[in-house]
Amino acid sequence: MTEIKHHTYLFDATRCIDCRACMVACSVENNIPMNKTRIWVAGVGLKGEYPNLDRASMVYHCMHCEHPDCLSACPVGAYHKREDGPVIYNPDLCIGCRYCMNACPFGVPHFDYDKGIIDGAFIDKCTFCPQRIDNGLEPACVATCPTDALEYGERAELLKTAYARIATHPDRYINQVYGETENGGTSYLILSHVPFSELGLPDLGPTPVNEVSEKVMEMTIPFALGWGAVLTGITAGVALHSNKKEAKAQPPSDEKTEITK
Amino acid sequence: MKLNLTIQPRFRIGLLPIILLALMGIAFIVAMIRYIYGIGAISDLSYSYPWGFWISFDLFTGVAISSGGFLIAGTVYILRIKEFQPLLRPSVLTAFLGYLMVAVALLVDLGHPERIWYMLIHWNPTSVLLEIGICVMSYLTVLAIEFAPVVFEGFKWKKWAHFIHRFIMPFVILGVVLSTLHQSSLGSLLLIQPAKLHPLWWTPFLPVMFFTSAISIGLAMIILESSLSSRYFQRGLEIHLLDKLAKAIPVVLAVYGLLKFGELAWAGDLKYLFTSGLMSILFWAEIIIGVAIPMILFSFKRVRQNPNALLTGAIILLLGMILNRFNVSWFAVKHPDPLFYLPTFMSNVHYFPTLPEILVSLGIFSAGILAFGLAAKYLPVFDQDETGHEALVASSPAAGDYMTEPVPASSD
Repeated sequence: MTEIKHHTYLFDATRCIDCRACMVACSVENNIPMNKTRIWVAGVGLKGEYPNLDRASMVYHCMHCEHPDCLSACPVGAYHKREDGPVIYNPDLCIGCRYCMNACPFGVPHFDYDKGIIDGAFIDKCTFCPQRIDNGLEPACVATCPTDALEYGERAELLKTAYARIATHPDRYINQVYGETENGGTSYLILSHVPFSELGLPDLGPTPVNEVSEKVMEMTIPFALGWGAVLTGITAGVALHSNKKEAKAQPPSDEKTEITK
Repeated sequence: MKLNLTIQPRFRIGLLPIILLALMGIAFIVAMIRYIYGIGAISDLSYSYPWGFWISFDLFTGVAISSGGFLIAGTVYILRIKEFQPLLRPSVLTAFLGYLMVAVALLVDLGHPERIWYMLIHWNPTSVLLEIGICVMSYLTVLAIEFAPVVFEGFKWKKWAHFIHRFIMPFVILGVVLSTLHQSSLGSLLLIQPAKLHPLWWTPFLPVMFFTSAISIGLAMIILESSLSSRYFQRGLEIHLLDKLAKAIPVVLAVYGLLKFGELAWAGDLKYLFTSGLMSILFWAEIIIGVAIPMILFSFKRVRQNPNALLTGAIILLLGMILNRFNVSWFAVKHPDPLFYLPTFMSNVHYFPTLPEILVSLGIFSAGILAFGLAAKYLPVFDQDETGHEALVASSPAAGDYMTEPVPASSD
């Protein structure tokens, strides 16, 4: 198998039969307890009236963004973006602040609300199965998908595949590959026959949602230094000014001492 | 003054301290349950709502109402407007206790409270929360240093008090810088949620909004805290000083209002003012209660010079501004839709604070009030009455001695 430079998933909603085998495969592979999961299936359920019935569902897990917001938000740097795609979480650094859950526009990271401090409550999310992809295997969810709704490979290749599929069946697909540019691009590409919002995907622009906050953070240190310098200047100026004043009005008459302005 | 004698019988076995202690005890038990069985055992926080009442009330409100400390410290030390000195110690104490309460509350809210110090060694420079964490920890230290002379005076260790005073200026400046940073970056915390926070509140200028409103909140808090403690401890009210603070409030609020509506116009979000249903109502509620009414009230000299009206105005402003903090951090944040076939752990997509959650906050708040009362009773927090104050103005040519004036020797 050729080495993959940018691990990516491609999901085709027209192929998903909502069997949820991927959820089981993921939990088995990653040893996830029965009451939790790293994958869930999103969708609108049944639409329309007989005989024109329609339904759409989507396998939802970490989008492995190119500019991850969880990573941007985490105060202690518990997240790491591998150069070849996956966004990895390191529980050893996590302080449990749950800011990543707030930051993620897809609502992916989740938290062990049922664990005390002895068990240790952590964030959990899809890891892209590094134990498999680093050994040339597909992620568990992809390997188990019976209809090839989930595929895995090189990002550029999968994009090509996706657009080729749209070109072959322009009547079937919406002419857009979600994740190509959304939130600055993701490593999870989605093809769909229903509007993406019906699959539970947020409407995001090509700039990552962390853009403004990162820009503001860049200004913090210069601002702090500048503001500190200004305050020091004001302090010195006021001190000089009031010392002069006090020297002039030497004999202190308690009642009338002028208040420095 | 007469105050020394009148305080003690009132405070000795009042009903208030007992209630406060009981609330603290309850909060302690609830917190223990949380530590053993997890956050989910006592709160309604969920996959969809990682942050709830604790963050809105304890963090956002707690930090905002503690902003009086840096305002008065800056005014007295940096601008040397010495007449505000009687407000200095109580304001610094309020701020110190406020931040302490924030820190304690975060220890309940964090999943790994024992790792809170990781923020000091593992830095992710793009994280707003890191900035807030570092600033709050440092500022707590600064406030402890600023308040230490009062403690030392209380124990009659005058040398130590004076020692700290020699080096107070850098800490005051650092305190103002740190306050500016984290008061504003509390707003920046929401910058990462342009897709979740309603456009009436989300703006790249959130940090500016937060800082401006924090100034008005700080001023109102000083008025509230002076008024209440003057009633409870039956001491004189510095109405002439509060009048001056209250005079500044309409100016600050006007700037804040202009910024707010100016930004909405600039971003083209004015259309949401009347079309967003509940969000529009919440927005107007916070503007009318927090900005418009106090701005009108405090413009009248009659209001500013009447203790009751002054207190009422401050409370109205605080209610409106606290609503603003709740809006930004909770009410106006849209969380992922329940569009999923939900696994059990995600099943709760609505959030309403549970009683234990509120009890924890209430207990921590009670501890703060009790600590303030004890400090006010046993430490020279309010002991800068006419004699002390005027002696100081006349006798201290050097900078920085404002906090260490002699405690009247006849205090006992």
